[in-house]
Amino acid sequence: MKKILFTGMLFAACLVNAQEKANDTAISKSVDTLKTNELTKLKESVEDHSMKLAGYEERFSALESVVNELSKIKVSGYIQAQYEMYDSWASDGSQHGIPVTGSAYEDNSFYLRRARVKFTYKPVDGVNFVLQPNFEIHQVTLKDAYVQLNDRWLNTFSLWVGQFSRPTYEIEYSSSSREFAERTLMTRTLYPSERDQGAKLEADFVTKYNVPLKLQFAVLNGNFGEGALANQAKDVDNGKDVMARGVYSLKFPSKGLGIDFGAHTYLGKTTVIALDSNPANNIFKDVNNNLFTPAVGDQFKKELFGAEMQLYYDFLGGLSLKSEYIRGTYSGTIHTAQVNTLFNANKIRNVEGYYLSLVKNVGKVNEVSLRYDVFDPNTKLSGNNVTTKDDLRYHNWTFAWQYYFNDYIKVMACYVLPLNEKSLNAGADYKKDKHDNIFTLRLQARF
Amino acid sequence: MITKKIKTAALLMVLLMVGLSFTTLSKITVKGSDTMVILSQKWAEVYMKKNPGASIQVTGGGSGVGLAALINGSTDIANSSRPIKAAEIEKLKARYNTLGVEIPCAKDGLSVYLNKANPVSTLTIKQLGQIFSGKITNWSAVGGPDAPIKLYGRESSSGTFGFFKDNVVKTDFASSCQSLPGTAAIVNAVKKDKYSIGYGGAAYAEGVKDCAVKKDDKSPAVLPTAATIKNHTYPITRYLYMYLKSKPTGEMKAFIDWILSSEGQKLVVETGYFPVR
Repeated sequence: MKKILFTGMLFAACLVNAQEKANDTAISKSVDTLKTNELTKLKESVEDHSMKLAGYEERFSALESVVNELSKIKVSGYIQAQYEMYDSWASDGSQHGIPVTGSAYEDNSFYLRRARVKFTYKPVDGVNFVLQPNFEIHQVTLKDAYVQLNDRWLNTFSLWVGQFSRPTYEIEYSSSSREFAERTLMTRTLYPSERDQGAKLEADFVTKYNVPLKLQFAVLNGNFGEGALANQAKDVDNGKDVMARGVYSLKFPSKGLGIDFGAHTYLGKTTVIALDSNPANNIFKDVNNNLFTPAVGDQFKKELFGAEMQLYYDFLGGLSLKSEYIRGTYSGTIHTAQVNTLFNANKIRNVEGYYLSLVKNVGKVNEVSLRYDVFDPNTKLSGNNVTTKDDLRYHNWTFAWQYYFNDYIKVMACYVLPLNEKSLNAGADYKKDKHDNIFTLRLQARF
Repeated sequence: MITKKIKTAALLMVLLMVGLSFTTLSKITVKGSDTMVILSQKWAEVYMKKNPGASIQVTGGGSGVGLAALINGSTDIANSSRPIKAAEIEKLKARYNTLGVEIPCAKDGLSVYLNKANPVSTLTIKQLGQIFSGKITNWSAVGGPDAPIKLYGRESSSGTFGFFKDNVVKTDFASSCQSLPGTAAIVNAVKKDKYSIGYGGAAYAEGVKDCAVKKDDKSPAVLPTAATIKNHTYPITRYLYMYLKSKPTGEMKAFIDWILSSEGQKLVVETGYFPVR
């Protein structure tokens, strides 16, 4: 009986063991199946994500090429909105302010002085296309439009073709950076509208040779800023004017001092392109104020020679002292295609002018500036010998203060006191100093 | 009476100007070169511990970004791994009427990273220039196996990019050169890609090998080591700079003086760069 019971138990134990083994095998099989399923799912998920990533990559590549193209375009610009007050009186007290078309006289006004957007496109290294329109209330004019080719081998030369600033310090110093509301009377008269059309070759020896010398040579139409806008689209007299400028920089880092100095010349001509039907409009004055009537095709000198210096000194923050001196012979006509409104006569004149400006940064956000500039449009005549206001010498004092909210926004307060040479024969307003001061409060925003 | 008033007003204005000019900064911001971020953060950390009243904030972004921030007034110190450009000085002149102040604060060598499995281990400056400008595209042209060269570099805002371009490539980088955001990313990429090449600070070369560089065909190949960078025999060495708008005063002067002291320069060595003194 015991044997039967033992055999039975042994059988039962074997049976249980066999069942367990069968169960284990089944579990193992089911785990394997689960693992396989999970792996399949994981594989599918990875494949799915890989496809999604490939899709994103494809879209990203397409976007990248668009972004790369867009990154070649740089857009910058600025707006100068201002409030002006004019202290301008006629000698008899009958008029106060400056004449405004369509109304009497205006002694204060809001004025959108400049609204410019500059587009620079750099398709490849060494090539720049620049386009800068200026938006005015009644028109859009083109300020800069040129192609700039930089030499990629020596990193020294660049060729500019189109319309660009004439190469002098005051002209090339941007209006958005300038410490005073306007450029000096000398620069505004001798280089009207600042720009001209032509070609310019620049050599900057600092990058490649570490020599702080910059040379500029330009060939220009010579009539930009003169006459009606439509006449400035092309040259009016065939003759090309030439400009050249050289600047050298000295640095004394241990003293916090830097001095840039240089010289420039303008060699050009004013050509008589037509005579007026009214003979009185064809009479010219030479440098000695003698009258003469030229013939069509006659050419008069427009030759200027200038020197410049800018000194920067790190004294309790930044300080700069800037100066330019220009003298030479200048000529102009009142022909509608050629007239320079600030020179404004049929004449040849020996001219001379200079300015001295002092700029001091105060703390991080304030800047105070003082400028004294002189322009004599006729060095051979003075005092009562001057018979027209356009020949009077001016001494101008300009005081300015700038506050920088940040790099993009600044406020400027600027006061200009023009002091004219007195003459009993140049009009009643100029027997004493004419009241013609201007106060400007300007807000500038740039991006 | 009027003259007296004008004189008083002028005197007050001068006093105000001088007073404002001496205004010192309580918080110093430092921005620029990614190469210098770790070093600069260490300087700031240790200095602030020693001077609990001081507050120094350090961020990267690249040398160009730092110098742009200095010009637009959003940072007090610009870290740069390349010298300031003439155009940037012109902007400082226009805005602040100064030429800026340049302070060399450390020396660095630019390593050329190669994958450890790459049999090429020596290149001349000319060959490197040709490789990164895309004129040489296969390792066989420089004594290696017949395999295309994969290029890794930095973004154009980086001073390392500028220095390598000006001193080695001397023209445009090849369009196939992949820009990565930081030297560590370049090291990682080269580590994974047998036939790749990249460049960056000598302190970052972990898991890759440094390429020995020859000044020209006749010069010996030199590896970027402490000794060769310090004595300038390694051809791609540079200074690391701090730029300021004008002469430092107050807390900023104290911070810069400390950086140039033996204590500050000790941190330069600890970070993997080389002291200026």
